Amino acid sequence: MGEVSHRTEKPLQVNPIRLSQPMGAVLAFLGVDRCMPLMHGGMGCTSFSKVFFTRHFCEPIAIQTTAVTDVTAILDGGDSSIVEAVQNITKKVTPSLIGLHTTGLTETKGDDIRGAAKQVNFPIVYVNTADYEGGMESGWGKTVKAIIEQLVEVRSEVRTDKVVLLPHVSMQPIEVEKLKDFIAMFGLEVVALPDLSTSLDGHLGEKQSTLSSGGVSVEEIFCLGDAGTVISIGASMQFSAEALLKKNPGMQHIHLDHVQGLAATDTLVEKLLAVTGAKLPPLGIVRWRKRLQDVMLDSHFALGQTRVMVAGEPDFIAGACQALSEVGARIGLALSTVDSPQLDSIEAARVMVGDLEDAEKLQAEYDLVIGNVHTETLAHRFGKALVLRGFPCWEVVGNQLKNDLLYEGGAYFLCEAANAAEAGRMNSHGAECRVLSAEG
Amino acid sequence: MANKPKIRELLDESGCAHNKTKTSGCNATVPGATTGGCAFEGAQISLFPYADAAHLVHGPMTCVGASWETRLTRTSWPGRDLTQMGFTTGISINDVVFGGEEKLRASIDYIVEHYAPQAVFVYSTCVTAMIGDDIDAVCRQAQQDHGIPMVPVHAPGFVGSKNLGSRLAGEAVLTNLIGTLEPEVTTPFDINLIGEYNVTGDMWQYTPLLEELGIRVLSTLSGDGRVASIRTAHRAKLNVLVCAKSLISMPRKMQEQYGIPYVSVSFYGKRDTSAGILAIAEALGNADLIGRTRQLIAREEARLEQQLIPYKEIFRGKKAVLNTGGNKSWSIASALQDLGIEVVATSVKKATEVDKEKARQYLGDKGVLMTNPGAQQAKIIDETGADLLLAGGRSLYTAIKKRIAFADVNQEKKKSYGGYAGLLNLAEDLKNALENPVFKNVARRAPWEK
Ligand code: SF4
Repeated sequence: MGEVSHRTEKPLQVNPIRLSQPMGAVLAFLGVDRCMPLMHGGMGCTSFSKVFFTRHFCEPIAIQTTAVTDVTAILDGGDSSIVEAVQNITKKVTPSLIGLHTTGLTETKGDDIRGAAKQVNFPIVYVNTADYEGGMESGWGKTVKAIIEQLVEVRSEVRTDKVVLLPHVSMQPIEVEKLKDFIAMFGLEVVALPDLSTSLDGHLGEKQSTLSSGGVSVEEIFCLGDAGTVISIGASMQFSAEALLKKNPGMQHIHLDHVQGLAATDTLVEKLLAVTGAKLPPLGIVRWRKRLQDVMLDSHFALGQTRVMVAGEPDFIAGACQALSEVGARIGLALSTVDSPQLDSIEAARVMVGDLEDAEKLQAEYDLVIGNVHTETLAHRFGKALVLRGFPCWEVVGNQLKNDLLYEGGAYFLCEAANAAEAGRMNSHGAECRVLSAEG
Repeated sequence: MANKPKIRELLDESGCAHNKTKTSGCNATVPGATTGGCAFEGAQISLFPYADAAHLVHGPMTCVGASWETRLTRTSWPGRDLTQMGFTTGISINDVVFGGEEKLRASIDYIVEHYAPQAVFVYSTCVTAMIGDDIDAVCRQAQQDHGIPMVPVHAPGFVGSKNLGSRLAGEAVLTNLIGTLEPEVTTPFDINLIGEYNVTGDMWQYTPLLEELGIRVLSTLSGDGRVASIRTAHRAKLNVLVCAKSLISMPRKMQEQYGIPYVSVSFYGKRDTSAGILAIAEALGNADLIGRTRQLIAREEARLEQQLIPYKEIFRGKKAVLNTGGNKSWSIASALQDLGIEVVATSVKKATEVDKEKARQYLGDKGVLMTNPGAQQAKIIDETGADLLLAGGRSLYTAIKKRIAFADVNQEKKKSYGGYAGLLNLAEDLKNALENPVFKNVARRAPWEK
């Protein structure tokens, strides 16, 4: 195990990869059907978030703002702008839920959103997500926890065939769907919270950007308490699972730090078999496991000689690093947006919380970059191979259809990484040859 | 703080067409019914194109974490392009409680040491304005210690809209940079380009023509801009405001302070480009220059028309519906007309009174000015038999349902449509859209729907 640094020593961030808590909250609310995320803060935070996700998903994004101004910031404790915002929203549309969440500005003011939410005569979930602490991953996690605490009804009976899936923020829409299908193949009924697989999966349809379309319904959320099992994926989702367990003492909890690579998927299968009491998984899953094994062998040569930098949210880098390590890739640098208990378990020469300036300084330690669109400039500057992952991935299409999870996605992921590493070597080799022939 | 501009004053700016009808200026924000960026974003748009300066955002993560490296403003600055970098103090709960000034100062020092910028712009944001960090004092001290301009930009998001932020940015430049350096040489034809950000290299479509005429761009705010040049901007003979009403206060104040006249121009489409170049020459008031300019325009237009022949063939009789915002409602309409496309409707939702007037001028009496394009455009496509919808991605589904071609107006953020040459880019993209079978293919009925 290499060096792990949980905090950065610099006074500032240069080329940051950290994203804010309110943005995670927005995304979580967008996984609820007909929801209107309402950001309590200046209008710019909302506008930036909207543009950010629109460009990542190539989809209209529903979101509104309480549009706090310098005047209301001083005069209003938050209640009146929140109440007015809900009134104005519901004049035009009828959401199933308002997703109220704060920003740094309104947290600094100390607004009492719980009190404000009480004054609102409309289904609402509130959550505190200051953007001067945590990050996108924790914002998503906190929101899921708040949804569970405030909406799920207490139950005592359990349906053993029902599973609640709590995915972490970095799982793309198709990955949520694949994981739901995987669990369903074991004969279980599965509800994901949030469920981006039906809202931001990029399906053609009449979409209004005024409300989210698709996602888990509020009625389904009310009834999550009767599930026999809750499966949380990612360290950031632990708290949400614990909140759900409080709704029903009979529920059992399966936690996985991620579901990338052979070993992690094996663990999931083992646990699902235990839930259902079956001896063998469905045939399709067995087949995919063999394919992944084959890809692992096919890709080990390319990846075994490759040093990798993986940058992103903690739950994502934990999974990606594990999948790559299984075929002998060496993780030169695991660069995390924020601190997380996950960081201690990542197998890498160096694990750190930092920004892309840090990544630049350590560029001699890796040949392949796995990270968001901002790593592209860095990869080009230093002639590194690149696989785009994480938020944001602008100017590429198909982000919502990228699947890296389980046996199947794991196979695709290794192929893509191996091919990128190989192409990177060809390029730098080509460049060397050109230099040599030019000199000769 | 003497340095802080008076926001009221800026809101009452006469150049803002909103003011004719609304008493609240451009600052109206309604909780739950507001779209658009904040003042900080406006400041960022106006100043980040200075690639030789560092842009340090003093605030929490949302402000720049979600927005750095977003705009394709191009620069010829040979050093590292600092526009495309994100610098933020990324303040924490600790800073909120105890103040962020120390962190801000340490961040400035770090940037100067590691990136040697020509200046540092320091942006306050909602949280740091709220906790009362004195960024003026920090900047003053840092400027003294490092000997390069440190420019405090007071445009925290909650003071208002993007437009106001742009104005506040202009204000910061006016107070802190302009007039602080003398140019090495001056010419009778020195101009400043204000509000041209060189997105996708737009500006480079026409600056070579100005150069050919002997018109020198002394400085810009801020496309392909340099700190050292904008400091000399007070010596220009003319200010040219490019397609940017949000910055109108700037040339007006420079007229008062330095006696520099200004003209307002746009470089979209053939007619506007020609009119813009001529307006500059005429304002510089030299008969010989004006004569040469007319010759150059005739030459360029002839060359362009030649190149457009095959496109115009394709566009003949084609009708378009345009759903975009602000000044694009007429500037793109005008460009489409230059290509021989009939614009049957354009959106004036959110447009200012001046923009509406201009849209009416360009579209004529028959043209429809849509106030609620989302609801209107489908019907108008039916009624007019339009062949093409130009809009933001959101309207794609309308085009597919109506089985007509679609072009995303936001492509201009990736490719330049400015000047004469940009019109060819636009023509090529529209030709591709009209010829692309994808819209009809996608609209195929599924076998189970037959
Ligand atoms: S509204 Fe305030 S906090 Fe939000 S992005 Fe703008 S400056 Fe930053």
